Amino acid sequence: MIQRFDRRTVIVLALVIVTIVLGYHGRDLSKALDMRWIVKYPSAWVLPFKSVISEAMRWLIEDAAIGPVSFTDVTRAIAWAIEQPYNLILALLATGFVSGLGNEAQVILPAVSWIVVIAAVLALGHYCRDWGLALLAGACFLYLAVFGQWDSAMVTLASVLIAVPIGAGGGLLVGVWAYRHPTGEKILSPILDLMQTIPIFAYLVPILFMFGFGPISALVATIIYATPPMVRITTMALKAVDPEIVDFGRMAGTTERQLMWRVLIPSARQSLMVGVNQVIMLTLNMVIIASMIGAGGLGFDVLAALRRLDIGAGFEAGLAIVVLAIAVDRLSQAFAERMGRMPERTTGSFVARHKRTVLVGALLLMTWTVGQVIPLLQDYPATRTLTTGAFWDDTIKYLNVNYFDQFEAVKVFFLNWFMIPIKKVLLGMPWPWAIAMLVLLGWSAGGWRLALLCGGLAGLILVSGLWAKAMVTVYLCGASVVLATVIGVPLGVWAALNRRAGVAINLFIDTLQTLPSFVYLIPVVMLFRVGDFTALIAIVLYALAPAVRYAAHGVRNVSGELVEAGLVSGCTPLQLLRHIRLPLALPEILLGLNQTIMLALSMLVITALVGTRDLGQEVYIALTKADIGRGVVAGLAIAFIAILADRLIKAGAQQARIRFGLEN
Amino acid sequence: MFKRSTIGAFTISAAACLSPGLTMPVMAAESTDPIKLTLHDWSGQLINTKIMGSILQEAGYNVEYVQADYIAQFAGLKSGDLHLAMEIWETTGREALDEATATGKVVNVGETGLMAIEEWWYPSYMKDRCPGLPNWEALKDCAEEFATAETDPNGRYVGGPVTWGGFDEERVEALGLDFEVVHAGTDAALFAELESAYQREAPVMLWVYVPHWAPAKYEGEFVEFPPFSAECYSDPSVGVNPDMAYDCGKPRGPIWKAAWSGLQEKWPGAYDIIEAYKIDNAEMSAMVGEADLEGTDIDAVVATWMGANKDRWSAWIAK
Amino acid sequence: MSAKIKLACRNVWKLYGANAETLLKANPSPSADEIRNANTVGAVRAANIEIEEGEIFVIMGLSGSGKSTLVRCLSRLIEPTSGEVLFDGVDLLKADGKALIDIRRHKMGMVFQHFALLPHLTVLQNVMFPLTIQAAPEAEAEARAREVVELVGLKGREGNYPRQLSGGQQQRVGIARSLVTEPDLWFLDEPFSALDPLIRREMQDEFLRLQGRLHKTIVFITHDFEEAVRLADRIAIMKDGEVIQVATPEKLVMNPATDYVAEFTKHIPRSKVLSLAGLMTPGAVGEGAPLLHSAKVADVAERIIASDAPLSVQDDAGQIIGAVDRMAVAKVLFGEGSTP
Ligand SMILES: Nc1ncnc2c1ncn2[C@@H]1O[C@H](COP(=O)(O)OP(=O)(O)OP(=O)(O)O)[C@@H](O)[C@H]1O
Ligand SMILES: [Mg+2]
Repeated sequence: MIQRFDRRTVIVLALVIVTIVLGYHGRDLSKALDMRWIVKYPSAWVLPFKSVISEAMRWLIEDAAIGPVSFTDVTRAIAWAIEQPYNLILALLATGFVSGLGNEAQVILPAVSWIVVIAAVLALGHYCRDWGLALLAGACFLYLAVFGQWDSAMVTLASVLIAVPIGAGGGLLVGVWAYRHPTGEKILSPILDLMQTIPIFAYLVPILFMFGFGPISALVATIIYATPPMVRITTMALKAVDPEIVDFGRMAGTTERQLMWRVLIPSARQSLMVGVNQVIMLTLNMVIIASMIGAGGLGFDVLAALRRLDIGAGFEAGLAIVVLAIAVDRLSQAFAERMGRMPERTTGSFVARHKRTVLVGALLLMTWTVGQVIPLLQDYPATRTLTTGAFWDDTIKYLNVNYFDQFEAVKVFFLNWFMIPIKKVLLGMPWPWAIAMLVLLGWSAGGWRLALLCGGLAGLILVSGLWAKAMVTVYLCGASVVLATVIGVPLGVWAALNRRAGVAINLFIDTLQTLPSFVYLIPVVMLFRVGDFTALIAIVLYALAPAVRYAAHGVRNVSGELVEAGLVSGCTPLQLLRHIRLPLALPEILLGLNQTIMLALSMLVITALVGTRDLGQEVYIALTKADIGRGVVAGLAIAFIAILADRLIKAGAQQARIRFGLEN
Repeated sequence: MFKRSTIGAFTISAAACLSPGLTMPVMAAESTDPIKLTLHDWSGQLINTKIMGSILQEAGYNVEYVQADYIAQFAGLKSGDLHLAMEIWETTGREALDEATATGKVVNVGETGLMAIEEWWYPSYMKDRCPGLPNWEALKDCAEEFATAETDPNGRYVGGPVTWGGFDEERVEALGLDFEVVHAGTDAALFAELESAYQREAPVMLWVYVPHWAPAKYEGEFVEFPPFSAECYSDPSVGVNPDMAYDCGKPRGPIWKAAWSGLQEKWPGAYDIIEAYKIDNAEMSAMVGEADLEGTDIDAVVATWMGANKDRWSAWIAK
Repeated sequence: MSAKIKLACRNVWKLYGANAETLLKANPSPSADEIRNANTVGAVRAANIEIEEGEIFVIMGLSGSGKSTLVRCLSRLIEPTSGEVLFDGVDLLKADGKALIDIRRHKMGMVFQHFALLPHLTVLQNVMFPLTIQAAPEAEAEARAREVVELVGLKGREGNYPRQLSGGQQQRVGIARSLVTEPDLWFLDEPFSALDPLIRREMQDEFLRLQGRLHKTIVFITHDFEEAVRLADRIAIMKDGEVIQVATPEKLVMNPATDYVAEFTKHIPRSKVLSLAGLMTPGAVGEGAPLLHSAKVADVAERIIASDAPLSVQDDAGQIIGAVDRMAVAKVLFGEGSTP
C-alpha cells in the first residue's frame, strides 16, 4: 500500500532529518563558518545568576530580619519545634532517656526493648486489621533484629515517624487551602514543581545554615521533598468528591469546617491514602541523602558499608530500608482505614477495653525492670544475628569473574548503537536551532503560551552557561526514559493481564523503588565500570516503576464492555491488545512517561556519584564546594527541563485525547 | 562479616561516663556544654575523631558526636552548631577550609600528624605486564596494557571525582602519556573499579590515597612520578617537560584539624589538647586495616589505642 | 381551600457563563437567543412557582431541563443569578451564612439521586450525622436515629456500611437521614431514578406511606412522568430551563399548555390520571355506595362498568356532588377524545 503523506508529516520529517544532520555535523559546520559560538555558548555571554543568588542567600541568612527577629531566628525556632518530638521519639526508640550531658550523663530509662517494639507492632497490626497484617509487620521488624539492623533501623524509624506526619499533615492542610482558594492553587503549582524537581543537594547548604547542623536539617530536607505529592493529591481528591456529597453536607447544615473535615476528607480518604503512601516512599527514598547531613540510621550504614566496599553489608542495610518501608506503609494504610471508621463503643473495664495497650505496657515495664538483669530482654544479642553479606559479595564476584566479557559486550553494543549517537546529535546541535525547534514544538503542541514557556526556560538555561551540561542531562535521561519505557510498558501490560505475574512484578517494582539506588550502583560499577552506561542502568532501574505501574493501571482500567465488544468481533488476544487495550490505556501510559521522566531527572544527582558530566554533577560539585548560587542555578536548570518535559507531554497527551475523541 | 552500629553517634553521650574515677576535674570556668565533633563515613576519620573525643572525655569535657557531610560540615562549624572536625585533607578540603577560615568563624588548629599521599596506583600483577614500573617512564611504553575497549589503544586511568581536582589530564599531556582520564564520581565508585579489576586480575590504574584500607587489602604500589614542587605546577619551564606545567607527581599534604573559632574561648583547655594531638600514618593505617579488613568494632580499636598510649595522651592533657 | 405557601420562587434565573451577571443586569429577561449569544447557558429561566404547605410538588422534565438547578436554587445550594426565593415568606437569598445553616439544620432535608451516603460511616452513623454536627446529645440523637431507621424498614442493619447494602436499601438510608431532623420541607432529587423498576415502585409506595404519616411539604424531582403522576399533588413541567406549566396531573392531561406537554401526557393511560371529579356529571345523583371524587378512574372502573346505572360521587366531606356512568369511563379507557 502506498502511504500518502500530508503536508504536515512531510514538514515534521524534514525538520527531524535536518535536526539530526545538524547535530551530527554541528561542530564541523561551526568551524567551517568560523562561528564556534553557535555550538559552544561563549562564557562571556553568561549572566551572573550564581553570584546574585549566592548574595541573596547570604543576605537572607545573615542580614534578613523583621525588627529584632532575624530570619534565622525564625528558622531556628522551627527547627527547635521539630526537634522536641524528634528527640523524644529518638530517645524512646534508640538512645534511651538520659539526664545530664557528656560525662555526667545518667541513663534514666533505656530505649524501648526490641521485644516491646515487635509486640507493639503486632498489636497495632491486629488492631488496624487482622492477624495477617500483624504477622507481616511483626516479621518485618523481626527481620531488622535478626539481621542486626535494629539500632540503625530505629534511628531511621524515628525520623520517618516525624517526617511522615509533618509531610502528610502539612500537605493535607496546604492541599485543603489550595482547594478553597483556586488562585492559591495556581501560585502553588509551579512551587510544587520546583520542590519536586530541584535536587535536594542544590539547597542542602542553605538549609544547613537555616536549620542548624544535624538530623533536623535532614528532616526538613526530607519534608520539602516528600510533601508535594500529598498537596497535589489532596487538592485533586477533594475536587473529585461526588458533588452530591458536597450538596448533602451543605443541606445537613454543616459549617465550612465541618464540611471539610467531616464530609469531604473522609469521603476522599482512599485517594488521600495514596498521597500518604507517596510521602512514606519518598521519605524513605531520602534516607541515604539525609544520612549524609546527620540523620544517621540505615542510610548511613549503606554509605559507610559501600565506602568499605562491603557490598553485602550495604545490601542488607538497603533491604532493611525496604522492609521498614513495607511495614510502615502497610500499617499506615490500615491505620487510616481504621481511623476512618467511627469507633464502636465497647463496654467493660479499662483493661478489657484496652487489652493490647495493657499487654504492651506490661511488657514494657517488664523489660525495663527485668531487662536490667537479663540483657536479652533489652537488646537483641549481637551473637545471634544473621548475615547474608558474604552471599551478595560472592554473587557479585562470581558474575564479575565469569561473565565480565559478556557484560562488556552488551555495554559496547548499547554505547555504540544507542547512546553515543544520541549524545553526538544533542551535543553537536547548534543551540539557536535547538531552541527554535523547542519553541516550534511547544507552539504546535500547546499554542503560543507553551511556545513562550519553552523559549523562556531554554533561554534561561542557555544564559546561565549550562547549555552543554543540560544537553548531557537530556541525553542521559532521554536514553534512560526510552529504555525504561521499552522495558516497563510491556511489563506493565503483562502484570495487568496475568494476575500471578502482576504480584511478582509489583513486588519487584516496590523493592526497586525503596531500595536505595546507591546499593546497586556500586555493584553495577563493578560489572560495567564507571561511565554513562552504568548511570543509564541505575536510572532505568529507578525510573522503571511508574512506566510499569501506569501501564498496568491503564490496561486494567479499560472497560470490560469494550474488551467484550472486541472479543465478540473476533479479535485475537494480540489484536485485542493492539486495537483496544493499548489505545485506550494511552493517556495513562503517557502519564506514566511523565513520571518516568521526573524520576529519571531526580536520579541525576545520584548518577553524578559514578562520574557523569551532567547537571547532576554540577549540583554535586556545588555542594562539595558549598557554593549556594551554583547549586541553585544548576538545580533550577534541572527543574526547568522537568517542567518543559511535563508541559510538552501533557499538551501532547491532550492533543492525542482530542484526536481520539476522548475530550474536546 | 563486620557490622557497626551508627547508634554510637547518638548514645555516646550516655556511655561517656566510663570511668568516673579517672576523670579529671574540668578546669575552672570552662563550659560543661558538650563539644561537638563531626563524624563522616570513612573508618580512618571515625577512629581519629573518637580517639580525640576519648581524650577530651578523659580530660573531663563533655563530648558529643554528630554525623555530618565532609564539606557541608563547614556550615555548622561557622555557625557554632559543630565545634571540631578532625580530618580536613590538604588535598581535598583545603579550599573549603581556607574559605571558612577567611570568614573568621573557623580556625585551623594545625596538623593531625597524618600525611595524605595521593597518587596513581596499580596492583602488583600489573608489574609483570609492564616491567619498568613503578617508574613512571615505563608507562610510556605500556599504556596499551592498561587499555579497555572504550579507550583502546590508550590506557585507562580512573581518577577521583572531579571535585578532587588533581590535574590528571594536564599531567597526562605534560608527561606525554597515552592515557585517557576517566573520573569516578565518588570514592566508593573508585574502589569498586579496583575491586572488580582485582578479582579478575584485569588491568587497572587508578587514584589511590592513604591513609586508606585499600593498600592494605590489595597488593600494589604507587607510580613514582618526578617529585612534586610548587614550581612544577606553576612554572612550565620547571620539570621534565620544559613547555608545560604539571609534569610531576601530586603534592602530599597534611591532614588538618579545624574548629569553630569560639572553641578556644569556651573551652580553652580543650583547645590546647586538640592543638597538641598528633598521630601518624603507620598507626592509623594499622587501625584502619583492623577495622575495615578484620571487622573489629571501631570503639574497640579506639579503646585499644587509648590503653596502649596512655603516656602520650596524658602528656597532651597535662600541657 | 387556600393553603399556606411554604416555599415560593419569583422570577428566578440561573445562567452559567462568564457574562451571566452583566447580561441579566442589562436585560432582566433575555430571550433564549440572547442568552446563547452571550455565551451563557440558561439553566433556569424566569422560574415562578409556589409550593403549598403539605403538598407533594413534583418538578418534572427531561434530562438537562434544569430541574436539579432549580431545586438547588430553592435550597440555595446554588446561588441564583437573580430572583427571590421565599421560604415561609422570608427571602432565603438574603439570609446570612449562619441563618442559612440554621434553616438547613432544622427545616430542610434532602434526598439525592445517588444516595450521597458517607462511605466511612455505618447506617446508624450516617443517619445520625445531621444531628451529630449540631452537637445534639449523643444518646438522644441515637434514639432518634434508630427510630427513623426503623421507620424506613432497616431495623437490624444499623451496623452495616453503605457498601454492604443494595441500592434500594441505600436510598432508604438516604431517606431516613433526611428525616432525622424532622424538617418541614423535604427535597428529593430523582430519589428513585437509580433503582430498577420493581424496587422503584416499591419505594414509591413506601414514600406515599411515609408522607401519609408525616405530611411534609415535598419538592420531588423526576424525569419519569408516570412517577410524577403517581405521587404528585401538583406537577411543574420544565423545558430548557423554563417552567412551562404547573398544574395537577389531571389538568395537565386534560389541558396541556403546549404541544410539548401534550407529547408527554400522550402515552400515559388516562385512566390512571383522571379522577372521577373530572368525569362525573355534576349535580346528578346516582345509586349505590358513593365513590370518592378523588378516586382514579383505573381504580374504580370495574365497579362502574359492572353497574348498569350511574354511581354517585361524593367529596371529602361525604356530600354527594355528582354521578358517573359507564359511558364516561369507557371513553377514558378506550381512548376516545384522547386529545381535548
Ligand atoms: N456548573 C455548570 N456550568 C455550566 N452549565 C451547567 C452547570 N450545571 C448545569 N449546567 C447546565 O444547566 C442545564 C440544566 O442542568 P440540570 O443539572 O439542572 O439538569 P437536570 O434537569 O437536573 O438534568 P438531569 O435529569 O440529567 O439531572 C444543563 O444544560 C446543564 O448542562
Ligand atoms: Mg439532575
